Amino acid sequence: MFIILKYIAKLLKALSSEASPNQLAGGFILGMIIGMTPVASIHNLIILMLVIILKVNIGMVILAFLVFSGIAYLADPLFHSFGIWILELERMQSTWTSMYDNELWAITKFYNTVVIGSFVSAVLLCIPMFPLTKIGVIQYRKNIHEKVMKTKFAKALKGTKLYSVYQTVVRVRG
Amino acid sequence: MRIKGIIFLTVITILGFLISWISIDPIIESEIEYQASVANGALVEIEGLDIDLIDLKIRWDKLQVANPENTMTNTFETGEMELDFLFWPTWWERVIIEDIIFKEFKMDTQRETDGYFKIPEEEKNAEPSFVAQLVGDVTSEISRNANMEFTNIKTNINVDSLMAKLDLQAPEKIDSLRNGLRQNYQKWDSTLSNTDINKEIAKVESTIKAIDIKNIKDPKKAIEAIKNVQQLAKQVDSLKTKATNLKKDFQDDFGDSKFSVGRIDNWIKGDFQRAMSMAKLPTIDPGNIAQSLFGENLLADYSGYLEYVAIARKYGSRLVGDDKEKIERYEGKDYNFTDKYDWPKLWIQNIDLSGETKTAIQLAGQVTNISSNQKKTKEPIKFNIGGKDNANRSMTLTGEFNYLGEEAKENINFTYDGFGLKGSKISPSSLLPYPLKTGTGEVSASVSIVDKRFDSEIGYKAKGIAFDFGENPSKDRIQQLIRDAVSSTDQINVTALVDNLDGPLKVKVRSNIDDLFVNALKSTVSKEVDRARQKIESRVRSEIGDRKEQLLAFKQEKEAEIRKEYEKLESRVNEEIKKVEEKKKELEKKKKELEDSLKDKIKDRIGIDWK
Repeated sequence: MFIILKYIAKLLKALSSEASPNQLAGGFILGMIIGMTPVASIHNLIILMLVIILKVNIGMVILAFLVFSGIAYLADPLFHSFGIWILELERMQSTWTSMYDNELWAITKFYNTVVIGSFVSAVLLCIPMFPLTKIGVIQYRKNIHEKVMKTKFAKALKGTKLYSVYQTVVRVRG
Repeated sequence: MRIKGIIFLTVITILGFLISWISIDPIIESEIEYQASVANGALVEIEGLDIDLIDLKIRWDKLQVANPENTMTNTFETGEMELDFLFWPTWWERVIIEDIIFKEFKMDTQRETDGYFKIPEEEKNAEPSFVAQLVGDVTSEISRNANMEFTNIKTNINVDSLMAKLDLQAPEKIDSLRNGLRQNYQKWDSTLSNTDINKEIAKVESTIKAIDIKNIKDPKKAIEAIKNVQQLAKQVDSLKTKATNLKKDFQDDFGDSKFSVGRIDNWIKGDFQRAMSMAKLPTIDPGNIAQSLFGENLLADYSGYLEYVAIARKYGSRLVGDDKEKIERYEGKDYNFTDKYDWPKLWIQNIDLSGETKTAIQLAGQVTNISSNQKKTKEPIKFNIGGKDNANRSMTLTGEFNYLGEEAKENINFTYDGFGLKGSKISPSSLLPYPLKTGTGEVSASVSIVDKRFDSEIGYKAKGIAFDFGENPSKDRIQQLIRDAVSSTDQINVTALVDNLDGPLKVKVRSNIDDLFVNALKSTVSKEVDRARQKIESRVRSEIGDRKEQLLAFKQEKEAEIRKEYEKLESRVNEEIKKVEEKKKELEKKKKELEDSLKDKIKDRIGIDWK
């Protein structure tokens, strides 16, 4: 609970001015990929490592993950159909076969319809989502942030003991 | 780049490795022990398990598999073991073991602690295996062999006392059958004599007689009389049907379906057989002799080997069929572009085994391709283990468990050769109670199971043998004959054939000394047995006497009487039919005459010709 509150607070702070829109958009698309594709996959381990190594906003990763997990749950049958179409593409057969025969590629489970369908969908979605998120962040800072900080949720969050403990920790750490 | 993130990842990786390194061995050891104990039905213990994830090796110092039938002994134990497994299949939850080396493999060893294991209720498998049922059948065959009263040959039968004890059933049954027949004949006598057919015939007769054709002067009256006769004809026809039905009922009552001479013969045969079984006269054939001499030992050995087959099959069946793919909703579908990862859940490609038997034969061999799905490995399980000791005793065990086809096929061959027989008895029977002075033995067994059809052979050879009959051998006639037969040969070959190819389990035991026995027995004992048999048979027949013949004569006589009476009735009915027909013809003729004369009269009077 403390970690989630910590990252929500961090996210609100980052959205206001601290983090660059690129870091926020990067976190968003990485969280989106994790959320849209089956969690227990090798590619998600790599993305998680990227989240830890790259300076992306982790709060945004969590937010995107939560939002897109729900969407993916409903969209799995579509990913399955899309995956069938991809895996049955005539001109890709030799590529899929050689990838399948290579153990390192095979452990990604890209030969599974839902894994490949959701992964390709997520990657394709990254193309519009990255600039859109950036624009969204800029617009948020300009027009929405003030209003959000005045909402009951933000006030309640600020009023919790956990938040004050977090603020103290941040101050002490500098 | 987040430096802290990189450090965090590195620390997490190292910690994860360390934790799994420390805790993985005991967890896996206890899980393997539990699952193996459930499969075995008694404790399976592993000591010093070590899993090396870098070299992909598993080792242990000792493995003990307790015998479920006697938990203070081990079915087998091994010393040091080392196995190599493949890395990539583990990503697909498959275990492919390339090579296992078992050292110091020993069977039937003593345990220091009790190997009892209480199988949890949910793990119990109540259905007995096919081979376990087979072991039960063979065991009951052994007890039958042990109970054969071959020595109890009585050729001097006291037929009087036997007949006094025997309650003959055939005479009583024949008498009761005769009484039944008599009552039935009486019923038919009265039926035929009291039948209303006779009365009705008499009525018809008087009606016909009453029709006086000469006095009929009017065509109208003639037509009326014809109608009466037609009515009579119908009546007579119905009498004919009644008579035919009577005949049919009679035939049903006394036909072959209710009475057959075969029944009487069976009653007599039954009495004879009961007399024979009371007299305990043996049937002497080679099978009986070999079976009573060697059957018990041979089948007990055989049942022991079958128990090992049952154990092997039990482990096999626990592995096979555990390979079903589970597809849940929205887990998607895997496209298998090649069959590269089409591995079974478990595949042990090779086991190198070395150890020694209880009798110190140094064994070595291989077991290959143990798998949970042979259709994926395309290889059957094969084993080939054998060895020799300094005294030239040798043992081999070869076989194949093949589940590649529609029907499961299992073949096992075992030989144990060169063991000394000096001082041992080759038969548990009191017919051959003598120990051997010299000789070596060889046991060979082959079992073939296709689905649930079972075919097997176990052979026993005693070579270079000489019996020690002692100073005062028994004077018993049978024993004397057996002594003569076995002393005339220095080799005994016994074969037991056990199969269920034609239905129930069949056991045949044959030996090379069967013919020697039979010839000797036939010339002496079997003649006496035949004489005793004839004596009993003739006595049974004389007690029953000529009841059968009397009954048959009585039946014939009574049936002839009744048939005669019926034929009389039938001829009366036929006669009456004839009379009615004749009367009808006469009336027709009369009617025509009257009509013609009437027409002539009309012509004469008014000049019209009606003809």
